[in-house]
Amino acid sequence: MTETTTTLDKVKLNQSAKVIGLNSTKKEIKRRLLDMGLTPGVIVHIKKIAPLGDPVDISIRDYNLCIRKEDLKQIEVIIL
Amino acid sequence: MRIALIGNQNSGKTTLFNTLTGSNQKIGNWPGVTIEQKVGYIDNGKHEIIDLPGIYSLSPYTLEESISRAFLLQEKIDLIINIIDATQLERSLYLTTQLLELNIDMIICLNMADTFVKKGISIHKELLSQKLNTSIIEISALKKTGIQKLIQCINNKDYLKYKPLKIFNPNIEKTIQYLEDKISEPNKRFLSIKLLESDPIIEHTIDVSSLTKPLEKVYGYDFETIIASGRYAFIEKIKKESFVRIHHGDKLTESLDKLFLNKFLAIPIFGLVMFLIYYLSVGVVGTLTVDFVDGTISRFSSFMFDFLKDLGAHDFSASLVSDGIIAGVGSVLNFVPQLIILFILISALEGSGYMTRIAFFLDRLFKKFGLSGKSLIPFIIGSGCSVPGIMATRTIESQDERRISIMLTPFIPCSAKLPIIALFAGFFFPNNSGFVSFSLYMFSIVVILISALIMKTVFFKGQPSSYITELPNYRVPNFRYVFRDVYERVKEFISRAGTIILLSSVIIWFLSSYSFRLEYGVDVNESMLSYIGRGFAYLFYPMLGDLSWAASVSALQGLVAKEQVVSSLAVIGGLSAEITEGNIILNAPIYQFFTPQSAYAFMVFNLFSAPCFAAIGAMHKELGSRRKTWIAILFQTGLAYGLATLIFQLGTFIGGVL
Repeated sequence: MTETTTTLDKVKLNQSAKVIGLNSTKKEIKRRLLDMGLTPGVIVHIKKIAPLGDPVDISIRDYNLCIRKEDLKQIEVIIL
Repeated sequence: MRIALIGNQNSGKTTLFNTLTGSNQKIGNWPGVTIEQKVGYIDNGKHEIIDLPGIYSLSPYTLEESISRAFLLQEKIDLIINIIDATQLERSLYLTTQLLELNIDMIICLNMADTFVKKGISIHKELLSQKLNTSIIEISALKKTGIQKLIQCINNKDYLKYKPLKIFNPNIEKTIQYLEDKISEPNKRFLSIKLLESDPIIEHTIDVSSLTKPLEKVYGYDFETIIASGRYAFIEKIKKESFVRIHHGDKLTESLDKLFLNKFLAIPIFGLVMFLIYYLSVGVVGTLTVDFVDGTISRFSSFMFDFLKDLGAHDFSASLVSDGIIAGVGSVLNFVPQLIILFILISALEGSGYMTRIAFFLDRLFKKFGLSGKSLIPFIIGSGCSVPGIMATRTIESQDERRISIMLTPFIPCSAKLPIIALFAGFFFPNNSGFVSFSLYMFSIVVILISALIMKTVFFKGQPSSYITELPNYRVPNFRYVFRDVYERVKEFISRAGTIILLSSVIIWFLSSYSFRLEYGVDVNESMLSYIGRGFAYLFYPMLGDLSWAASVSALQGLVAKEQVVSSLAVIGGLSAEITEGNIILNAPIYQFFTPQSAYAFMVFNLFSAPCFAAIGAMHKELGSRRKTWIAILFQTGLAYGLATLIFQLGTFIGGVL
C-alpha cells in the first residue's frame, strides 16, 4: 500500500476519507469523537463548511456531524 | 413498574413521553443529584416513567450522560425503553449496546416507522430483535401508532428478558469475563468494561493494566478505541443483515441548507429571522393588542371600583381591588398576546432544525469570544424564560463555557422583561417600537459577547473546548407539539400573574396607600413606599436624572419577578392619579420626568441587572457554588448599572448638543 495518511482538516469539500485513528490529547474530545462513530475504518465525507469557514459538517454513519477544524486535525485519515 | 425512557437527542423521546403520559406529568427531583426531570404516569398510574436527557453514550464526560448513567445504576429501574431513530441506526444502536450491559430489561422502540417507506428503509425487525436479544416495537410517537402495542407489551411483561449479550471479539470477551468473576456488585459487565476503559468515575482496586496492555499492543489502539470500535463493528454486522436503505439523504434538507447555510446569505437571513420574531411579537401584535387590552383593563378597573362603591364598600377595599389587584395583575396580563406570538415563533424555531444551523454557523464567531455555538441554544431558549435557558447549558461539554453561558443567559430579554421593553418602547418610541425592542435584543448579544470575552480572560483560563454536534434534518414543526409548548409557557406566565404578581401588587398597593401612621388615603408621595424608595432613589439618580422613588422601588422588585416592575409602576401610577385614556401607566404625573434617554437607560438596567429569584435559583443550581452565584449577580448588576448610567449620560449629552 502506498497510500499516505493525512488529517481530516486537509480533506476538501465533497471528498471522502477513511479514518485511521485519533490523536487527540484531550480525553474528553477523543471519547466524544469515538462515541459519535469516528472509529478506525469508518468512512467520512466532507459535506459542508460553515459560512464563516469553521466548523465543518461531515457525513458519517448515515448522519451529519459538525466538528471544528482544530479537532479535525486530530483525526488521521487516508483520502479516498 | 418504574420505567426509564432513554435515547439520542432528536430521536423523538419527548414526543413519545408526552404521547405516553398525556397530561399525567410532573417535574420531580430524584435524590443524589439535584436535577429537575420529568416524571409521568402510564395507563392510569400503573407505571411511572422517567424522561432522561437525550444522550449518545454513557461516557463520563458530559453532565447529562453522567446523570443518566448514575440514574440507571443507582435507582431501581424495572424497564428501559430505548427509543431509536431508524434513519440513524448505527449511531442509535451504539447507545443501545451500552444499555444492554446493565442488568435491566429493555424494549427498543423504532420511532418514525410511518416514514420508513418514504425514506426507502426496510428493517428486518425479527432478525434485529434476535441479534440484540431485545423486543422491538415499531412506533410513531408523532402519529401515535404502535403506542397501544407498547403499553400492552409493558402491562403483560410480554418482552424478552435481560440476557447478557457478548458482542466483542473472543479475546476481549475473555478479559471482560475474567474481570466479571472478580466483581461482586451488580451490573458486572458494565463495570468490567468501564474498568478496562479506565473510566475516571468508576472506583475500584483491581489493577487492569496487566490485562489491557497486551490487548492494546495486539490491536494497536488504546482500550477506549478498541471498545468503541468493537461496538460499531458489531452494529455494522447486524445492520448489514437486517437493514436496507434504497435512497439516502434528505432532499429538502439539502436544498434548504444551500440557502440557510449560504456563505453570503446565512447571516443576513439569521438577522432577518430574529428581527421578524421581535418585530412580529412586540411591534405588530404589540401595537394591535396592548392598547386594546390596556383600555379594557382600565375600564374594567374603574367599573369594579364604582361597582364595589355602589355595593357600599369602603374606599380602601374598592381601591385594593381596582388599583392594587386589577391594575397590578392586569398590567402583566396585557402582554399575553405578544408572548403567545413570541413563544410560537421560538418553539417553531426549535422544532424546525434551524436552531442547530444557527449554532453551527455562529460557532466560529462565538469561539472567538470564548463560547461555543452550543451556547446559542440557551440564549434563544432564554428569550422565553431564563430558567430553562440556564438548564439548557447542560449540553455544553466544557465546564468553563458552561459557566459563562449560565451567567450570561439572563442577559437575554426573557418573556418577563418583554413587558418592560414593550411598555417603554411603545410609549417613548411610538413609531419605532419594534425597532427599539430589537435594538435591545442586539445590544444584549453584544454585551454577552464582550462579557464572555472578559470572563474568559479574567475568571476562567481553561482550555478551549470543542464543538461536536449533530446536524439534524429539517422538519416541519409539529403543530400539536408547538401548541402544547406554547400553552405550557403561557399557563406558567399567567399563573405567576395570579400568584407572585398578585401578592406583590397587594403589598405594593398597601405600602403606597398607607403612611407609616397607618393612615389610609394619604398622597402617594407621603406613603410608606415613597419613604422606603427615597433612599434608593439616589442610587438610580445617575441613570434616571431624577430622584424617582417610584421607578426605583419598581426596578428593585425585578428581583421577585421581572413582570413585577411593570406591575409596580402600574399600581403606583394608578394611585397617584386619576386613570386616563390610552397608555395609562406612563401618563401618570409621577413618571413625567422620564425622557427617551432615561427610558432607554431604565430598560437597559432592568434587562441586565440580577435576574428574578427563580433564575438566580437556577444559576445557583447549575453553577453549584454560592460564591460563583454571588459573583454572577454582582457582575450582572454592576454591568447593568454602569451601562444604564453611561447610556443616560451620553444620550442626554448628545441630545443636548443636537
